[in-house]
Amino acid sequence: MAKRSLVSVVDDDESVRESLPDLLREFGFEAKAFASAEEFLASGYLEQTRCLILDIAMPGMSGQDLQEELTRRRQKIPIVFITATGDETVRPLVLERGAVECLFKPFSEKALLGALNAALSVA
Amino acid sequence: MTTGFQGIPAAIDLIHILDTIEVPIVFVRRDFVIACFNKAAADGLGLSAADVGRTCRDVSVLARLPRLEQQCRQVIADGVEWRADFRDGDRWFVVRISPCSIGDRPISGTVLTFTNVTAFRASTDQAIYEREFTKAILNTVADPLVVVSPDLRIQSGNRAFYTTFSVSRDETQGVPLDEVGNGAFAFRTLRAQFEEMLAGRHAFQPVEVEHVFPRKGQRTLILGAHPLSVPGHSQRRVLVTFQDITARKQAEAAKDLRSEKELRRSEAFLTEGQRLSLTGTFSWKVATDEITWSEQLYRIYEFEVGMPVTLELIRTRVHPEDVSLLEKMKMVDQARGGSNDFEWQYRLLMPDHSIKYMHAVAHATRDRDGQLEYIAAVQDVTVRRISEEALTRARTELAHVARATTLGTLTASIAHEVNQPLSGIITNASTCLRMLDADPPNVDGARETVRRTIRDADRASDVITRLRALFGRKSTTTESLDLNEATREVIALSLSELQGSGVILRADLGDDLPLVTGDRVQLQQVILNLLRNAADAMSGIDDRPKQLVIRTERVDDDGVCLSVQDAGVGFAPEDIDRMFDAFYTTKSGGMGIGLSVSRSIIERHRGRLWAARNDDQGATFAFSIPCAPDTKPRPAVIEPEHAMGKP
Repeated sequence: MAKRSLVSVVDDDESVRESLPDLLREFGFEAKAFASAEEFLASGYLEQTRCLILDIAMPGMSGQDLQEELTRRRQKIPIVFITATGDETVRPLVLERGAVECLFKPFSEKALLGALNAALSVA
Repeated sequence: MTTGFQGIPAAIDLIHILDTIEVPIVFVRRDFVIACFNKAAADGLGLSAADVGRTCRDVSVLARLPRLEQQCRQVIADGVEWRADFRDGDRWFVVRISPCSIGDRPISGTVLTFTNVTAFRASTDQAIYEREFTKAILNTVADPLVVVSPDLRIQSGNRAFYTTFSVSRDETQGVPLDEVGNGAFAFRTLRAQFEEMLAGRHAFQPVEVEHVFPRKGQRTLILGAHPLSVPGHSQRRVLVTFQDITARKQAEAAKDLRSEKELRRSEAFLTEGQRLSLTGTFSWKVATDEITWSEQLYRIYEFEVGMPVTLELIRTRVHPEDVSLLEKMKMVDQARGGSNDFEWQYRLLMPDHSIKYMHAVAHATRDRDGQLEYIAAVQDVTVRRISEEALTRARTELAHVARATTLGTLTASIAHEVNQPLSGIITNASTCLRMLDADPPNVDGARETVRRTIRDADRASDVITRLRALFGRKSTTTESLDLNEATREVIALSLSELQGSGVILRADLGDDLPLVTGDRVQLQQVILNLLRNAADAMSGIDDRPKQLVIRTERVDDDGVCLSVQDAGVGFAPEDIDRMFDAFYTTKSGGMGIGLSVSRSIIERHRGRLWAARNDDQGATFAFSIPCAPDTKPRPAVIEPEHAMGKP
């Protein structure tokens, strides 16, 4: 079996950081969780990350700020946004800027798998 | 008989006769001795029987007659009677001395008779006094007076007459009045009028005449005439009076001029005031359709000033939707009677399709014949109305934005708070299933995910608890209140809004409504909500009047019912159960929260709220609540509702 792909999770919400990596590992991915965009950028896992699951609304740098920063650094990591605000207008905005998918919390296991597959096929 | 005609024996009858004469008579002989006297001489002059044979010089009353002896001698010598006035104390006599002869004998003496003229003298004196007095008065009167004969010839005038006409007494005596003053009074009807008056057919009608006087110039006189008649005199005279009214006429003319000036000025004020305030006035006699307009009203309606105003003409300007108001004005008085001051708003649709907003205040009166007449002031409130509308629109938009913003923020916030734990719950549950499905099952891992699931569920529950604390109901304030009064306040608040939507509101508020206990503001919110719903239900109606009836009445002795009846679209029978659900609405822009909130408010007042379809059109929404207990209302404490969750 090939080396497991790393999926990084950036979310300020602790319950997400606890639960989502466990599920990702059950899916068979390597998973790392970060509490902020700044923490992720400083982590050294950018190169290995095959897919980024990114919260939009966070204190400090928002998910979109991080997307911009990665674009600026030419880091082409496929991004799956997740958001709890339920603001529908944000989805077309982030997709236009290159995100693979935008999921609204709470999302189903199936939706998450679909997004991950799409992300990994892009890469 | 104690006295007699001494020495005249044959004359018994004559003596008798002389004694019956009341005039004292004394016979004096040639030698100036008293021969005899009658009874009246004894009574009136105080002669006594002893005086017979005495010389007159010794009889006191005769001695007082001056030069009596000489006069008697003269009479005897001449044979001619002599008479003289004689004053004795306060009595006046006319004394007559006549020659006396008996039979064929030569004159043998004189007869003295004493006629008492005291009373006559007194009345003559009085007459002279009265005449002088009257003359004095007449001569001090400033108005000319003149007495004329029936054929108008001047007999005498007062001083003012002669001085006013600059004529003398002599030159006018006997001159016809119509020749005086160059024929100033020669008007045709004068003589005819005199004849009528003297014949007793008509009183003289005073005549106003102009006359130019030599010294005074032109004067205006009123000529009057009064017949003068003295009882017993067949000759009639006429008193002609001249009253100089020149000064009065001038004063009146000045006053007329002044009041006319004042009237003009206040008219100018009124016109200017109407122009500045954009207010016109009109009166309308309903029975005859007689309409009078002020100048400003012509300007407001943009009709040519002075154009005859008819109802038809007015109709060409009044907005088609407001024409019915005119018809209502015709009826209103018949229905009510009594005081009829009222005001209303309507619109004008001008030829260029612009709209003018009018505010009218009318007072209905009855004229003498009992006919209805309106007096009204109409103000062009277009500018005010437009700014009010702009303000209302801005306020509504602001309120909408504020509400949308608040709700949007709130919704996002609630969604975020709830979605986070939900997301955790689903992810953990998914993980749990996978761990349990593994071979061998990862029971420890699964247990950990279940623990996290419970934690996240608690977290979601906490969010709800916090929300309820934030929006939970507080205890309501209760008071005894008059539902009619509360209703009137709501009507007052929403009247302009209702009128703006073309709704005709009729309030039919029951008399003797008992007080109810409750939260005034909450009940008013319910009433407002029902009114708005009713108005909204009629917003698309254009084939019938948007009639809205709000009614209060007493029900079942212990309750009060308020109903709002509209002529709107109504509702389908199957909707009746869902209508009070929190988010049910038939309105495109509505929130749907109104009826459910209204119902919960009414239920907390121990009442009920219901809806019914009208027989013809529209719906009626009504609520009933119990009235306040007894006459002494106790505030009923309405507990906040706790049913929704943990306190």
